[in-house]
Amino acid sequence: MIAFENLEVRYPQATTPALRGLTLSLERGIVGLLGPNGSGKSTLLKTWLGLLTPSAGTGTVLGVPLGSEAARRLRGRIGYMPEYDALIEDASAYEQVAFWGELSGLAPDAARDRAHEVLYFVGLDEARYRPVSGYSTGMRQRVKLAQALVHSPALVFLDEPTNGLDPDGRRRMLDLVLRVHAELGAGVILASHLLGDVERVADQLVILDQGQIKAAGSMAGLRRALARRVELRFLDTLMPEQEAALAELGTVLEARNGLYDLELTTADPAAAFRWAQAQGATLIQLTPRHDRLDEVLLRALHGDATSMGGN
Amino acid sequence: MPIYAPTLPPAPDLSLGQPPVLVLMRFDLARLWRQKIGRFFGFGFLALLLFKVARIYVGHLLQTNVALRPMKDFAQSILTQGASFQADLLSPASFLLWFLVALVGGGLVARDTLYRVRPLIYAHPVSPRDYLLAKLGFATALPFLILLPFVLLPWLMSLLLAGLDGPVWATAPLRLLPAMAISSALMGSLAVGASSLAATPRAGVSWVLGSVLGAGALAGLLRGMTGIAAVDALNPVLLAEAWPQLLVGVEHPLVAWLPALLGTALHLALWTTLAVRRTRPSEAIL
Repeated sequence: MIAFENLEVRYPQATTPALRGLTLSLERGIVGLLGPNGSGKSTLLKTWLGLLTPSAGTGTVLGVPLGSEAARRLRGRIGYMPEYDALIEDASAYEQVAFWGELSGLAPDAARDRAHEVLYFVGLDEARYRPVSGYSTGMRQRVKLAQALVHSPALVFLDEPTNGLDPDGRRRMLDLVLRVHAELGAGVILASHLLGDVERVADQLVILDQGQIKAAGSMAGLRRALARRVELRFLDTLMPEQEAALAELGTVLEARNGLYDLELTTADPAAAFRWAQAQGATLIQLTPRHDRLDEVLLRALHGDATSMGGN
Repeated sequence: MPIYAPTLPPAPDLSLGQPPVLVLMRFDLARLWRQKIGRFFGFGFLALLLFKVARIYVGHLLQTNVALRPMKDFAQSILTQGASFQADLLSPASFLLWFLVALVGGGLVARDTLYRVRPLIYAHPVSPRDYLLAKLGFATALPFLILLPFVLLPWLMSLLLAGLDGPVWATAPLRLLPAMAISSALMGSLAVGASSLAATPRAGVSWVLGSVLGAGALAGLLRGMTGIAAVDALNPVLLAEAWPQLLVGVEHPLVAWLPALLGTALHLALWTTLAVRRTRPSEAIL
C-alpha cells in the first residue's frame, strides 16, 4: 500500500528536516499513526498526498512514486478526512459532497447520485439537505468522512476522526472505519492520539516522534510482544552474574527493588521457572504484564522501543 | 423513499468529470445565485440596461416621428455617433460593478480561508494553478458577462432601428469587448488578490474596497503633489473607465495609452502575485 526508504522531507528555509530516515512498508489494512503534536504526522500525510516532495529517499503510494508527475493524479485515488472542520458552512452536506466528488473526477450527474449514496452510507439521511452550519459534531464528522469516500478511494487518510465525539458517536465512527476497510476494501491510515481508537480498529501501528519512526509493526506482533511481558520477583536478591544471565531468558526492560520487568524470548512462561532452577534462584512471583497501548507509546517515545514483531 | 444498497457500491468512472477549474467556478456561481446580493445587483444592472436601451429607442422616435420633430435638435445633442457616446455605454454600469466585485470577489478566496477548505481542495487532483485560474476566471467573467448586454443590446437595437446610421457604431463591439475584457481582468485580479489577504469574507470586502479607494486616493495625492497626469494610472477605477475610451478613440481619455498600459500591467502583476503567494500549498495546514 505504502512503502518508503530513507525518506527525508525538508520545508523550504528550514534548517532541520521535518522527516528524516524513514523506512517502512505498510500492507493494505488499517494503519494507526500515532505521535505527539509536531511529530511529523501531518508532514507525512502531506508527503503521501503529493503536496510535498521528498528531499531525499524514495517511496511509493499505491505503486506511484512520491514526487513524480503522476502524484497529482494519485490524489484521485486517495480520500482525506482532515482533523479540523473543513466544511463549506453555507452549503448543504449533499451539495458539498457532490462538489468534492466532482473535484475528484466524477461527472456532475454521477457526483450527485454518488453524494446521496455515500451520505446514506455514513448515516446522514434527510439531514443532508440542510446547511452544515446547523449540524452536530457527530454529523459534521460524518460529512467529512463522506467527502473522503465519495470517489471510492483505494486509500483513505483519516485524521482524528473521533475528535469531539461522545462515546456512542465514537463507537459509530469506529464502526464506519472498520466498514470502510471491510466492505469497501480501502486501505485506511488512521492518525489519532486516542490510543483506544487505534487499538480497536488498526491492524498495523506506526509511532512517529520528532520526524522519525520510533516503532512500527503489526498489531498482532505488538500483542504477541505484550503477551511475553512478565514481572519476576525472586526470594533473594539476584547475584550480579545471575542478573547478567537473565539475558538468556529475555530482554530486561526494567529492574527496580528486586522486581524484573522482562520480555521473554519464548511464549512459555514456565521457562522462567526452569531458568530460576538452573541458576539456583527461587522465583516467588511471575506476573503477566498486560500493558496498554499507551505504555507502549510512551516507552517508544522515550527511546525504549518495544519490539513489535514483524510487519 | 429511495432504496439504497446495503453498502456503498463502487463509484462511477473518475475520468468523465469536468476540469477542476470549471467545477470550482460553477460552485462559486451557485453560491452567488443563492445569495440575496445577486438579486439586488441583478435589479440594479437591469434598471441601468433598460435606461440605456430606452434612451436609444427614444432617440429613434425623435428622429422618425413627425410630431416629435421639434425635439430632434435636442436628441442629436445627446445621441451623437461620437466616440464618447460609445465609451459611455459602459460607464455607470462599471461604477456599480466595482461594488459587486468588492462584495462578491472579496469573499472568493477569503471564504475558503475561513472554512479552511483550501488544503482539502489541494488534497484532490487540483493544482494551485487550477485553483487560482478558477478564482481569477470567475472574478473576471462575472463583470465581463454583466457588461456584455450593455454593449450588445444597444448595438443590436441601434442596428435594427437605424441601421449603420444609428447612434451606436456598427464596429462598437469590436472595440468595447476587448476594453471590457481588460477592465474585467483588472477588477478580477484586484478582487482575488485582495481577498487572498483576508481571513473572512467581510474582511475581504474591506480589503477590496480599501485597495480600490486607497489606490485612488494615492493617485490623487501624487497627482496633486507632482502635477503629473500619468499617475492617475495607479487608480484602478480610472483605468477601468479609461480602457473603453482608449479603444474607441475618445479625444481626451481619462488616462493616456502608455500610463494605462503600465498601470494595468502593474495592477495585474501585483494582485496576481499576491494571490499566487497566498494560495500556494505551503499555506495549507493539514
